[in-house]
Amino acid sequence: MIQFFHVAKSFPGGQQALDDVTFSILKGEFSFLTGASGAGKTTLLRLIYRGEVPSAGRILVNGRNVSSLPRRKIPYLRRTIGVVFQNFRLIDRKTVFENVSYLLRILGEDREEQRRLAFQALERVGLAHRANAFPPQLSGGEQQRVAIARAVIQQPDILIADEPTGNLDPDLSWEIVRLFLDINRRGTTVLLATHDRAMIERVGGRVLTLDAGRLVADERVIGAAPPEPLPSPESTGSAEVAGQAGSEVAP
Amino acid sequence: MTFRRALAYFFREAVVSLARSWKVSFVAVTTIGVSLFVGGVFLVVGENLARVAEQAREDVRVVVYFEPDAGEEQMASVARTAERMPWVRATAVVTAEQARERFVEIFPGLGELLERDAEALPPSLEIGVRPDAAPSEGYQSWLERLRDTPLVSTVDDDQEWISQLGAAVAVVRGLGLALGAILLAAAVFTIGSVIRLTAYLYEEEITIMRLVGATEFFIRGPFYAEGLLQGLIGGAVAAGGLWLAFRSVATRLTGSLLGALTLVEAPSVEDLALLVALGTAAGLVGAVVSLRGESLGEPPVDEI
Repeated sequence: MIQFFHVAKSFPGGQQALDDVTFSILKGEFSFLTGASGAGKTTLLRLIYRGEVPSAGRILVNGRNVSSLPRRKIPYLRRTIGVVFQNFRLIDRKTVFENVSYLLRILGEDREEQRRLAFQALERVGLAHRANAFPPQLSGGEQQRVAIARAVIQQPDILIADEPTGNLDPDLSWEIVRLFLDINRRGTTVLLATHDRAMIERVGGRVLTLDAGRLVADERVIGAAPPEPLPSPESTGSAEVAGQAGSEVAP
Repeated sequence: MTFRRALAYFFREAVVSLARSWKVSFVAVTTIGVSLFVGGVFLVVGENLARVAEQAREDVRVVVYFEPDAGEEQMASVARTAERMPWVRATAVVTAEQARERFVEIFPGLGELLERDAEALPPSLEIGVRPDAAPSEGYQSWLERLRDTPLVSTVDDDQEWISQLGAAVAVVRGLGLALGAILLAAAVFTIGSVIRLTAYLYEEEITIMRLVGATEFFIRGPFYAEGLLQGLIGGAVAAGGLWLAFRSVATRLTGSLLGALTLVEAPSVEDLALLVALGTAAGLVGAVVSLRGESLGEPPVDEI
């Protein structure tokens, strides 16, 4: 699903963000990406959705070499990848519904379909009742849930999240992580970047650790208190993935 | 997404943006409106002058003014000689009395001027000439002979002032074209700047659009629509302003020579449509040019 082969990334000033990074994430996996600030987490995530081009190496996403993807095809790659940011990145002048349904509008879905899928996504994150609110009227946790609803509305193959709990208190962070796990249980590959080690140890799962741009560990951590599934999840035939997070023993 | 739906989205977004940043939009619309209005004024005046020149060309005359003591037989003799020339269509003797009646008919309030000077309007011979007479061989020497004829005081040839009018039309048109082009370029630049400014204001939003997979067409479309709308409104303002200005000035100039020369006919629907079309095109061009080469909303590269 996501494959990095000896990927390096340096910026024009000579700053080395990533150095010889190689790993592979399988379809339906839930993985954490961790490391100190400046370790290269954001750069790695941006390379996946072609926010950056690697200086060396090869990156395959869904079998496509994203490094050599023509510029005009980047939007089509991004439609298969949901992205969630620490600072939510919602459009303040648009309602929650409009923010969430934006991708559907780009895709030319009719209004009824937009409504149906947007409300479905908002229900999954428990915010259907705030569909007509504007982002500034919501709390940080609610805004992040809207961002997640937007990211998953088209049931992307991959969901990547860059410090999605960085601006939230621990209780809200826990709720957000439960949402990601729920999304993963439905079949979406999730890569969640965080420097919150306590969170990783509580949830458990595969953990990729970056240090100064190098991948220094790729391990499985047993979760101390893996979360219960969210109430009334819709079974979508991804049972083989369900329960995977936190249930495996580190190699 | 179908093209029709995309267009509907572009224009909806453009209207929202116009309303949000109405102050800068107002500046852009005003600039293009003023530019096209000025160009339109020259267009209308130039068209009317050209029309007057064309009408005059169709009815070219040589008027031979006689001394007050010239007799009818003298004038008839000159007329008979003139009628033998191949470029002469017709001749008509106008006595001093007929000339006076004509003047009073055209300028009813100025009749008393003639009472002070009884010889102000001398008898004359009006000779209708074919429009293509001027280049004819012998035409100029015929005029010279007329001028040298006894009891002839002056010979006026319409061709002279018609050619001067033709030159004036060319100057007005050239000036209008040059001024219009300069102002239009300024308007295109203004609209371009406003659109670029708007694009910067929406940069964060555009970044988000890119992240969810919006194409360049989808990202730039609303800005192009906004430029087009600004130009369209500016063009409509110019067309409306020109029409109103014509109505207002035409009413005041009725009966005057200036009015007769420059405001014979109102701006045509085609003229007004041309202004609107030019404005629309200028707005669209301004938007497209201003965003060309701009990598709108590319994600920032300072995070590692």
